[in-house]
Amino acid sequence: MRHGSDEQPRHFTPPGDAPRVIDQGSVWILVAAPSIWAAHFLLSYWVAAIWCAKAGPMASLVEPRWIIVALGLISAALIAWLGVIAVRRYGGVFVIFEEITESSERGRDRFVGHVALLLCVLSVVAIGFTVIPGLVFATC
Amino acid sequence: MRRSIFLIIPALLAGCEGRHNWLASAGAEAQRVEDLFWVLLVGAAVIWGIVIGAAVYAHRRQVDPSLETQARRFILWGGAVFPTVVVGALLVWGLVILRDITSDEGDLTVRVDGERWWWRVIYETPEGDVVTANEIRLPVDRTALFRLTADDVIHSFWVPALGGKMDMIPGRETTLALTPIETGNWGGLCAEYCGGAHALMRFDAIVMEQSAFDSWLEAEAQPAEIAAGDPGFEIFQEEGCGACHTIRGTEAQGPVGPDLTHLASRDKLGAGIYDMTPENMARWITDTHAMKPDIDMPPYPDLQGERLDRLVAFLMSLD
Repeated sequence: MRHGSDEQPRHFTPPGDAPRVIDQGSVWILVAAPSIWAAHFLLSYWVAAIWCAKAGPMASLVEPRWIIVALGLISAALIAWLGVIAVRRYGGVFVIFEEITESSERGRDRFVGHVALLLCVLSVVAIGFTVIPGLVFATC
Repeated sequence: MRRSIFLIIPALLAGCEGRHNWLASAGAEAQRVEDLFWVLLVGAAVIWGIVIGAAVYAHRRQVDPSLETQARRFILWGGAVFPTVVVGALLVWGLVILRDITSDEGDLTVRVDGERWWWRVIYETPEGDVVTANEIRLPVDRTALFRLTADDVIHSFWVPALGGKMDMIPGRETTLALTPIETGNWGGLCAEYCGGAHALMRFDAIVMEQSAFDSWLEAEAQPAEIAAGDPGFEIFQEEGCGACHTIRGTEAQGPVGPDLTHLASRDKLGAGIYDMTPENMARWITDTHAMKPDIDMPPYPDLQGERLDRLVAFLMSLD
């Protein structure tokens, strides 16, 4: 396709009809949970780094704990919501050896939902592992 | 081939004993890490045995479709849930150990400055700093807080038998708390490659009873006792040694090299590498770079005969 051409691209989707993010037909649900995990890790790191930079090298790290825990709970709640979507809209099931061999829209949806659900579990565990050091260490 | 592997095993295991043994548990911090190590080692061996056993069992057994559900459940619990719980528990345990052994307080504070390739050691006492080098004495059952810096490049301070290690970084201070629980002469070394003589940058960490330590520190704080007109000290000054080395109580106040005030009271010469003997001292002065390459101290090959003997006798009297 050349730029500046009046010709419409072949697969042009009119505005408003594009698939919504995290909706059926979209694979965004796959990256959503790990992205929340990454964001939680980054935010927790920032909270601790900024707190310790302002408060000094061996300052107490007890006060910002609730921020790290709250971030963890919010992230876990968001991921739980994603998990519900993966089950309800995509028909994902929490079975490790789910075999999805059917070549159909429904089969593809179930596959995406299944993978999304497993990624949700992995991300929640990882977020838990990020919160634990914040609870154990009392000083910067 | 197989035989040659068995031949090198004793050489590899030689690192597991003696004064550099990190499993000697001569320090409270090393003890905590060692406990974790044994649990990890035994746990890993058991899990490895189970996994290999399951693989052999699966390989030998006929496929039985009726056990499919059971097998999948086994893999879910054994392959996903169990490792997650174990790793989580080890994470908490490891973090608690890390929290407990990191401290910014101690019963005594020792500043150690890493230089190429030796250690400047400063004991902080209420009466003021006590400067020494290349030998660290510690009282048993007391926590020593090391405040670590480096003068030139990154070094790393490590006494394997007591705990650690900790990097020494130019321009910033790191701290390390060590609590020796066993008296003895433990080996310390630089654990971060820092240039040519890195492997020769060592020190003795001598753990003593509190009373013996107190006497030692008191003696160490005193200036050197030098007889008036000591010919050895005159040679020391004529050769310019005092430009780099300090002998407290004299005009020799050079800040570059190790403090020599109580040089002969140390067990080792050249940062923990040679016995403190007159022969080694004479060679150190005349053939320095053969004993320790690349160091800043220049050799004095022209210093021979009676002048060398007098200088060595003087240095060996600094106890």
